[in-house]
Amino acid sequence: MEQLLTSKKLIAKVALALAVLAAVVFVCSRIGTEDVSLKAVLAGPGTQAAPNPDYEIFIRIRLPRIILAGLVGAALACAGVVFQVLLRNPLADPYILGISSGAGLGAIIAVISGFNWTLWGRSPIAVFAFGGALGTVWLVWFIGRLTGKFHVTGLLLAGVVVNAFFSALMMFLTSIAKSDQVYSTIFWLMGNMKEGDFLVLWIAAGCIIGGIVALFYIGPQLNALSFGADDAGSMGVDVVRTRTIAFGIAAGITAVAVSLSGLIGFVGLVVPHGVRLVFGPDHRQLLPLSGITGAIFLVIADTLARIVVAPAQLPVGVVTAIVGGPFFLILLVKYSRKVSWLK
Amino acid sequence: MNKWWWLLLIVSCWMAVGVAMFGPRQGQNSSMPPLPDRVGRIVSLAPNITEILFDIGLGDEIVGVTLDSDYPPAAAEKPKVGTFWQPDIEAVVAARPEMVITLGFEQQKNLAERLRRIGYNSLTVNIDKVSELFEAVGRIGAATGRQRQANELISRIRIKLQQLASLVGAEDKVRVLWVVQREPLRVAGRDTFINEMIELAGGENAIGPTVHKYPPIGSEQVIACNAEVIIESAMAREDIENQRDMALRYWSKFKYLPAVANHRVYVIDGDTVSRLGPRLYKGIETIARYLRPYLFEN
Repeated sequence: MEQLLTSKKLIAKVALALAVLAAVVFVCSRIGTEDVSLKAVLAGPGTQAAPNPDYEIFIRIRLPRIILAGLVGAALACAGVVFQVLLRNPLADPYILGISSGAGLGAIIAVISGFNWTLWGRSPIAVFAFGGALGTVWLVWFIGRLTGKFHVTGLLLAGVVVNAFFSALMMFLTSIAKSDQVYSTIFWLMGNMKEGDFLVLWIAAGCIIGGIVALFYIGPQLNALSFGADDAGSMGVDVVRTRTIAFGIAAGITAVAVSLSGLIGFVGLVVPHGVRLVFGPDHRQLLPLSGITGAIFLVIADTLARIVVAPAQLPVGVVTAIVGGPFFLILLVKYSRKVSWLK
Repeated sequence: MNKWWWLLLIVSCWMAVGVAMFGPRQGQNSSMPPLPDRVGRIVSLAPNITEILFDIGLGDEIVGVTLDSDYPPAAAEKPKVGTFWQPDIEAVVAARPEMVITLGFEQQKNLAERLRRIGYNSLTVNIDKVSELFEAVGRIGAATGRQRQANELISRIRIKLQQLASLVGAEDKVRVLWVVQREPLRVAGRDTFINEMIELAGGENAIGPTVHKYPPIGSEQVIACNAEVIIESAMAREDIENQRDMALRYWSKFKYLPAVANHRVYVIDGDTVSRLGPRLYKGIETIARYLRPYLFEN
C-alpha cells in the first residue's frame, strides 16, 4: 500500500531533488572543452582592453546553455506527464499531438526562405518553430473537438494524421533544399542546444516555471482524471475546464521548449514514466519531481553532448535516447510491480 | 481562484524585471571592440575561408580552424574549434580572436550572431556561386586590411579561369550527368555550384531545369538525358578506386548510354570540386580534362 502524501513529505522530496539538481549543475558547469578556473570567473568580466576569457566562457556561454537545458528538460518532462494522463495513454509524449512536425515545418520554412532578421535575439527559426508548434496544436485540438467533446481517440488520430501530413511536407521541402539547408534542418530536428541570450532565458524561465506551477495547482484534478472522465466527473471535477487548462499549458511550455532547442526526444516520454515508477502516480508530486528530474537528465545529456566528441558536438537528442533508453529499461524491470497500469 | 491571480501577478513581475534588466537597450550599449588596421588573430570556420586567408598572406594570423581545414598543409596544424557544421563556441572564444569569419548558412550565421552578442567581431560571407567567391575574397581582404593581396588573389583566379575558358570555349558543349548519390540516384541540378563548374569546364548539365536542387531521377530520365560523360564525386580520397569499380558495375546496366558505351564514367575527388575556394580552377580543370582529354594531351 502506498504511503499517504503529506505536504511535509512533498516539500522534503522536492527540496532533495532541487539539491541534486544544483549539484549536477555545479559539476556540469565545471566540465567543457575549455578549462575554466572558478577563481578567474569570480574576478569579473575584465575591461574591454583586457577581457577575462574564463568569465566570458563561463557566464556568457556555458552557464546560459546549462540553464537552457534545465528549463527545456523540465518543460518537456512536465508536458509529458500531462499528455500521458490527458490521453490516458502511456505512449503519449509532448510531441504526440503534432507539435514536433508543426515546429519542424516552421523551422524548415524559416531555413529555406533564408530570413535574416532576429526577434529579441532569436533567429527566425525559433520564431517560426514556436508559431508552427502552437498552430499545429490548435489545429489538432480543433479537429479533436469536432469529433466529440473531448474524444481521446479522435484527438489522438487527428494528432497522428496531422503529424504524418506535416512530416510529408517537411520531407518534400527537405528534398528540394540546398544541402547546407538540409543539414541545418537535420541538426535542428535532432535537438540543437546552444547558449541563449539572457533576456530569452529569463522570459523562457518565467513561462516554463509559471506553467509548471499552474499544472501543479490542478494536480488533484489530474489525479481524478487518471481514473477516466466519467469517474472524475462523478468526483466533482470540472472535466472540460481541467482538460482545457492542462492541455493549453502543456502545449504552451512544449512550444517554448521546442522553439529554444529543436526537437529533443525521449525526455518527455521516459522521465515521467521513470518518476512514476519510482515515486508513484500522484500528480501533486509527479509534476514537480518530473520537472526537476527532466532538468537533471537533460543537463547531464547536454554536457555529454558537449564533451564526448569535443571540440565537435553530438546532437543532444541522440544522447538522451542512448543514455535514457537503457536506464529506463532497468527502472521498468525493477519497479514495474509497484505500478498498476502495467498489469 | 486566488492562487491563479497570484501566479499571474508573479509571472508578470518576473517578465517585467527581465525586460528591465536585459531589455533591448542593453544590447545596443555593448559595442564591438575597435578593429585594428591589420587584424591579428583570426578564426576561420570553413576550409575554403582558411584557404583564402592563407592565399592573402594571413596564414600566421589564423588562431583557429575547423576540423576539415586540411589545405594548405599548415592549416591542419592550427588549433581546432569544432566542425564545419557544429563549431564549438567555447573553443572559438578561448582562441581570443579579433575576428571570426564564417559562411552564411544557418549554423554559422547563428554562431556569428551569438559571438557578436558577446562582443566579438565577426564577418559572414556567402560563397555559393563563383561570382560570390570573388566578392567574399574582396570583403575578407577589406575587413582584415589586406586589400591589395585580396585583389591580387582575385585577378590570379580570374586569369586561370580565362585561360581555361579560352582552351575549352569554342568547342561544342559536352553533356554531363553529375551523380551525387547512386542509391537512390540523385544528380546535380541546374541551380547548383556544380552546374556552374560543369559549364566553366565546357560542358552542359544533361539534366534540364528541375524543382529540386539535387533531383532524384529514375532510369527513364537517365536514358533520356543522353549523357556523354558521367561524373561521380567520391566522399573520401581513399575510396576513389573502390567507388570507380562500383560505379562501372552500376552503370553497365545502361549500356546504350553514350557515356557508358564509350567508357566515360569518372570518379572525382570530392574535395577538389566541393570547396568553392582559390583552388576552384583546379577542380574545373579536372572536369575539363574528363570532358575533352585531347585538349590536355600536350
